Amino acid sequence: MSLHHDHLLAMSVEGLFKEFGAKKVLHDVSIEIAAGQIVSLVGPSGCGKSTLLNSILGTLLPTAGAVSIIDAKGARNLVREPGRDRGIVYQRYSLYPFLTAQENVAIGPKLDETSLPFRLFRPFAWRELRRTHLDQAAQLLEKVGLGDAIHRYPHELSGGMRQRVAIAQALIMKPRILLLDEPFGALDEATREDLQTMLLRFYEDNIAAKRAGEDPPYTILIVTHELNEAIYVADRVLGLSQYWDWKEAGYDAAPGATVIYDKAAPIYKSTDLKEYERFVAQREEIRQIVFEQAPLPRLGEHVTFWENLDPNITEGILGS
Amino acid sequence: MVHRPLERNQVLALVALSVVVLLLAYTGVSWRQHLANPSDTTIPSWSQLYEGVVTIVQVDPRSDDRWLVTDSLATGKRLFLGLGMSWTLGVLLGLYMGSVAWIDALFVAPLSLAAKIVPTAAMAVFFVVVGIDLEMYVTMIVFGVLPALALSVQLAAKDVPKELVEKAYTLGASHQEVIWEVIFPSILPKILDAIRMSIGPAMVYLIAAEMLVGDEGFGYRIRLVQKRLEMQVVYPYLVLLAAFGFSMDGGVRLLKSWLCPWAEEKR
Repeated sequence: MSLHHDHLLAMSVEGLFKEFGAKKVLHDVSIEIAAGQIVSLVGPSGCGKSTLLNSILGTLLPTAGAVSIIDAKGARNLVREPGRDRGIVYQRYSLYPFLTAQENVAIGPKLDETSLPFRLFRPFAWRELRRTHLDQAAQLLEKVGLGDAIHRYPHELSGGMRQRVAIAQALIMKPRILLLDEPFGALDEATREDLQTMLLRFYEDNIAAKRAGEDPPYTILIVTHELNEAIYVADRVLGLSQYWDWKEAGYDAAPGATVIYDKAAPIYKSTDLKEYERFVAQREEIRQIVFEQAPLPRLGEHVTFWENLDPNITEGILGS
Repeated sequence: MVHRPLERNQVLALVALSVVVLLLAYTGVSWRQHLANPSDTTIPSWSQLYEGVVTIVQVDPRSDDRWLVTDSLATGKRLFLGLGMSWTLGVLLGLYMGSVAWIDALFVAPLSLAAKIVPTAAMAVFFVVVGIDLEMYVTMIVFGVLPALALSVQLAAKDVPKELVEKAYTLGASHQEVIWEVIFPSILPKILDAIRMSIGPAMVYLIAAEMLVGDEGFGYRIRLVQKRLEMQVVYPYLVLLAAFGFSMDGGVRLLKSWLCPWAEEKR
């Protein structure tokens, strides 16, 4: 368990517990994500994925434990409330309906770099700055493949276009980690695959940046209920579940969900054909361990990502 | 079939028909009334109505001014002062109540209570507290309009999806920015609707108060002439009030489609 310290981390969750009154939801959840990784989080419904995501986002405070965001220099910032070092894309309500696509993306720098008094009392300076924000937004929208629809309102965009805008909206802030909460859940299959390919391109950008000695720009935690998607877009899959062998671990009552699966996933290139055959075995394994209620896995039995990490790894972001 | 749309020309023809029938019916009823008594003014003929309009717009020899001008100025001033204050305070209060829990807790009880009191019934209170001048009319409108407006803005503000608020914080917004850059624009269409709905009640309260204690204004004038059964003066005033209501309504609708092009109803 020491290997991962060779890799620069972006986020760390340490010993996170969350109880709502008598209801124990999260039990001793610990996750460390290296900068540039794309990690999927899967789990049966009601296992506390949203609770975990909200704890990372800072909208829920944990009963015990902590979430830290680690910047490129290695400094840890404890999460207490939502902040600009974490980006979020939701399945629904992902965009501001009263802003065009371009304005939706430009609102980040607007809120972050300027204040109400500045915009009110220095209208000329603000107009100048606004123009650079809008240019920045237009460029980013181009990058996510939406160059020709930047003046449309969200209700005039298709579901897939909306999620592209939402991703651009979060990315313009250069968040240390981007949280995607079932982002493609409401999309049709073709659109979904397009967006998955976009994530693979982000991963390739990460590798290229790291090889060039720069900080990888995209670290992503994606919550999804689709196992194929979880394995396909990510380089690592986390399984969160309340069904683990807590009796063996010495508890009398169910103590809540914890990470019971953490393994590497095969790395696809954005240009590769999407062949599910390559990971049929892993998909079945995850289904068995994370989603079936019997046999119950032992604590830590399948949490082996860092343990099994090859020190001489050459593939993916950790091998670059 | 239910909900099957008509051609535009068919709609126009039917609307025109209804107006023509209305005018003909009035002419007929008025004509019958004048068979018995040619000087009757309860259902004035078209020529009597014309005289009524002249009475309103010409210089009145006794007071040396035009009724229409005096009354419009008096009523307009009271209405717009009252509405202006209600809108500004009501929207501010509702916005902050719907956004900040302690402001909500502080104001929700008094506002809910005030919203249930009929302001015309409470007129004696305004009398005693602020006198019978401009202040009374304004107080009365504010009392009648602000609580309901603030409460509907508060509800709308609370309804803004929490995702939009939480996302704003991840984009580096301050609390005030969340209120003014996220919640306010999100609910602006609902605010404008609430404002539009408040014009009618405000006019009801104002005209009633003017009828009771006014010495100028639409309510005062209508009470004065209806005591003499001079309906040829009353009707033009009613038409003016209706026209005013229509144009305010249309004005706010126009404002909404200009400020919130994203909120256009889907056809």
